[in-house]
Amino acid sequence: MTGNGRVRVAVTGIGLVCPLGIGREEAWAAALAGRSGAGLITLFDASELPVRMACEVPGFEPGEFMDRKAARRMDRYAQLAVAAARLAVEDAALPIDRDGAGIGAVIANGGSGAGSREEQHRVMLERGPDRVSPFAIPLSVANMGAGQVSIELGLRGPVTATCTACAAGTDAIGTAVDIIRRGDARAMLAGGADALITPYFVAGFDAMRVLSRRNDDPAGAARPFDRDRDGFLVGESGAVMVLEPLEAARARGAEVLFEVAGYGSSNDAHHLTDPDPSGVPQALAVTAALRDAGVAPEQVAHVNAHGGGSRPGDPSEVRVLRAALGEEHAARVAVSATKSMHGHCMAATGALEAALAGLAARDGAVPPTVNLAEVDPECVGVDHVAREARRLDVPVAVSTSYGLGGHNAALVLTRAGEGG
Amino acid sequence: MSDARRVVVTGLGIVGPLGIGWRETWDAALAGRSGAGPITRFDPEGLGCRIACEVDGFVPGDFVDRRAARRMDRASQLAVAAARLAADDAGLAVDGEAERVGVVIATGNGGSETFEENHRLLLERGHDRASPLMVPVTIVNMSAGHVAMQMGARGPSSCVVTACASGNHGIGDAAAIIRRGAADVMLAGGTEAGITPFCMAGLDATRALSRRNDDPARASRPYDAGRDGFVAAEGAAVLVLESLEHAAARGAEPYCEVRGYGASADAYHLTEPDPSGRWQVEAMRMALERGGLEAAEVDYVNTHGTSTPAGDPVEIAAIRALAGDEAARGIAVSSTKSMHGHGMGAAGGFEAVLTALAIREGAIPPTINVEELDPACAGVDHVLGEARRVPVRVALSNSFGFGGHNAVLALSAAEGA
Repeated sequence: MTGNGRVRVAVTGIGLVCPLGIGREEAWAAALAGRSGAGLITLFDASELPVRMACEVPGFEPGEFMDRKAARRMDRYAQLAVAAARLAVEDAALPIDRDGAGIGAVIANGGSGAGSREEQHRVMLERGPDRVSPFAIPLSVANMGAGQVSIELGLRGPVTATCTACAAGTDAIGTAVDIIRRGDARAMLAGGADALITPYFVAGFDAMRVLSRRNDDPAGAARPFDRDRDGFLVGESGAVMVLEPLEAARARGAEVLFEVAGYGSSNDAHHLTDPDPSGVPQALAVTAALRDAGVAPEQVAHVNAHGGGSRPGDPSEVRVLRAALGEEHAARVAVSATKSMHGHCMAATGALEAALAGLAARDGAVPPTVNLAEVDPECVGVDHVAREARRLDVPVAVSTSYGLGGHNAALVLTRAGEGG
Repeated sequence: MSDARRVVVTGLGIVGPLGIGWRETWDAALAGRSGAGPITRFDPEGLGCRIACEVDGFVPGDFVDRRAARRMDRASQLAVAAARLAADDAGLAVDGEAERVGVVIATGNGGSETFEENHRLLLERGHDRASPLMVPVTIVNMSAGHVAMQMGARGPSSCVVTACASGNHGIGDAAAIIRRGAADVMLAGGTEAGITPFCMAGLDATRALSRRNDDPARASRPYDAGRDGFVAAEGAAVLVLESLEHAAARGAEPYCEVRGYGASADAYHLTEPDPSGRWQVEAMRMALERGGLEAAEVDYVNTHGTSTPAGDPVEIAAIRALAGDEAARGIAVSSTKSMHGHGMGAAGGFEAVLTALAIREGAIPPTINVEELDPACAGVDHVLGEARRVPVRVALSNSFGFGGHNAVLALSAAEGA
């Protein structure tokens, strides 16, 4: 319990199935080494598209994580969710009894089962409505990451999906934290999964002009805060954490990786796709998360930024941090945009980035923003961790996410034992 | 419990198959009218099911600037309309406290119509004709985003997707947001606009839909021995939730109080409920327990009751298990899906609106179309055919979704408010 009598929430397991690797330590080591997960698109034929690169999960075999027959009834995003959830549960050595009562899941998703939906919709258009699969709807809907995780792992506590576009993974963790604090579950799996490297989404994002077109240099294409940035790379991932009350985690002898001490969210109420340039509503989310954690802005050592690499988004984000943390302190805060390595993994991205921010607190090491050769003058005012990882004492880290539709969400992650 | 942590419902907005606005909807529900008819939103030729509960006479321009409406899927237009109606009903002014007003709009499918249209164009014309709106109009969170934008609400905003349980999870999550102090007011509910070629073909393929095409008004018949599936519906419903403290300070009159929210999962099958009903019982038990209520206090259950052969008896058995066989015989039960159809992501919102009105008005809308009660669905006090005037102090509203999601709201009269 904290001073205000509230349950403290520990992270005891992390499952990552992401462009930087499969498994917590593999992905973390790649992030510290500054490796890029970008490459040319192999999941579909993108040769005719203006954007031909993305951040895919290398070597993902669904059959290693679930029954093959079950896997065939899942969209790729649900497969990524199930794989990440299994890894997280193994990592936490979380006991799940036959009942599964009291253990739930919040698994966010952004674009629904896009690949399956596009395929089945094409079947309908080409061959008629009576040729659509009976699994078309269960494959396509956005709740099946959560549903399949519950079915595969036998979880019978609260199971939902918070779907707030690019902020969804962050909102999922925040929502799960509240479920634990209010006593509605004794453990939660929380995170997100998206698999949007599909013809519709790559073409759609490209039409919005938010993707980098640096096809000749995929590894150098995602360059948040850099003068020459030209957009993001679509990534795919499953990223799931096991959350438990700190006391319960300690009582069962689980290793506490870090704590989730606070969560805040807000909406720009400004524009369909563009962030409010003032940064004021986004700062509300960060401020609310710090207040929820009982942490002063001056205690924040590291921010895993949204850092989408967009022309208007990155400067606005720096304004947000300066407003929320104070200009003087913001200048000293080590800021990284790990999307420079793993791409923009949509609904999974907030969970992946919160995991990396928490591991930075655990290890006292901050992963870099790769490709940040020259900081855009509009993005100065924070301490960018450019190109190489940095050793740094991180008692408190913040991870921020901003999504289409104006959703803003922030988490405060603290080194184990530091919170409260 | 302090007034800051008590959550009351102070406004209702609904744009559904029974009407636009709660009064029209409520009158139709009490009169036992069906909102079903032949599908007109597209040509359903070739589908086994060619009926649905559509929203008639909805003009987006009545609720939102025409230019803004053009950038929204129908799901978002419906959501914005319902949110405006709810805010007006509550006499809520968002200006001046925008940071303390949040939004949760649940959905099942998101922007289906715009996805299908844009995807067809992409296949026909190629990527260079792709629209910059094809992603933002289709994604599931956009209704929440549009409601926040149109209403100027800068508090927490979310979209919950749990298939047919989405609306209840949305309302439950919104109540939790107020209870933890992150907002004073939430616009919460669900929206769905899935009467589209692909969604209907997909649902039809699961064999979950009624095929009583020659008699749409009698196709949705929960608990009837001759039921053969659900009738899909479109629409949106939004409730204004606020802390009792906030409502009292501005003199708002509550319809009812959100006492508890229970959530569980079957972890059983993609589309079928666990036949034991055990986890439905758990969600109901949890909703009551969190609200400090006993099963014996429940006057009315607005059931999930979709009219599927497998689902209906499981839920009735769950109510009997919750309350005990004897007490269950005294609990009034109705499935308003018999009239407004299955709103999927909007269903929880539709039913929360009707349940709130049942409490305030002291009247229970009926389950229509039950000619012969399935014996497997007996054991509760079914309100059949005609509405019943009776005081309702405590009510449950149940929703269960594909994927095994269970969500239950416990509502009660706002006593001492």
